[in-house]
Amino acid sequence: MSLWMIAAAVTLFALVPCGVAAFRGSAFERLVALEMAGVVQTILLVLLAEAFHRPATYDLAVAMAFLTFGGGLVFARFLERWL
Amino acid sequence: MSAAQLAIGVSLLISVSGTLACCIALIAIKDVFGRMHYLAPITSVTMCALLTAVVIREGWSVETGKTVLVLFVLLLVNAVLTHATARAARIRLYGHWSPQTDEHIPTTQSSGPKS
Repeated sequence: MSLWMIAAAVTLFALVPCGVAAFRGSAFERLVALEMAGVVQTILLVLLAEAFHRPATYDLAVAMAFLTFGGGLVFARFLERWL
Repeated sequence: MSAAQLAIGVSLLISVSGTLACCIALIAIKDVFGRMHYLAPITSVTMCALLTAVVIREGWSVETGKTVLVLFVLLLVNAVLTHATARAARIRLYGHWSPQTDEHIPTTQSSGPKS
């Protein structure tokens, strides 16, 4: 097991606090936890791409970074007025 | 263990520990505006440490270029997203975005005007 794989495995545990925070508190506190989880998943994809040494997998990390932005923005706009 | 491997190990340690610290702080802080502060270090410090590790291992390659792209996307996007979330939370809480004349805004001792 390489150093990158170990780093990815440890980073995976960072999703647990995000998940716990996403189940508690107000809607906006949950939204912040969701945004944090998106960033952690992006970092995780970069680590896994480097661990498996597949350049194509980096595209998933780039897509994840953009999708985190889109999803968070939509939730923020809806929570602002309508939900 | 060579110097490059040691540098990669240290960079990954900074990256992983920073990620874990920010996520644990997310639970520890109860306020929504306090929680938002921890989105900044995870996109800046953690990703820079990760980029350093990738650069040391790969040199200037496609992998490095894509990691730089991820870093810049996260830096730009996260600032906008944090602002949008804070704005939405404030409008939801107070019904408006701009501060009112009678609103108490706490300031630090040093930043206030000197009499």
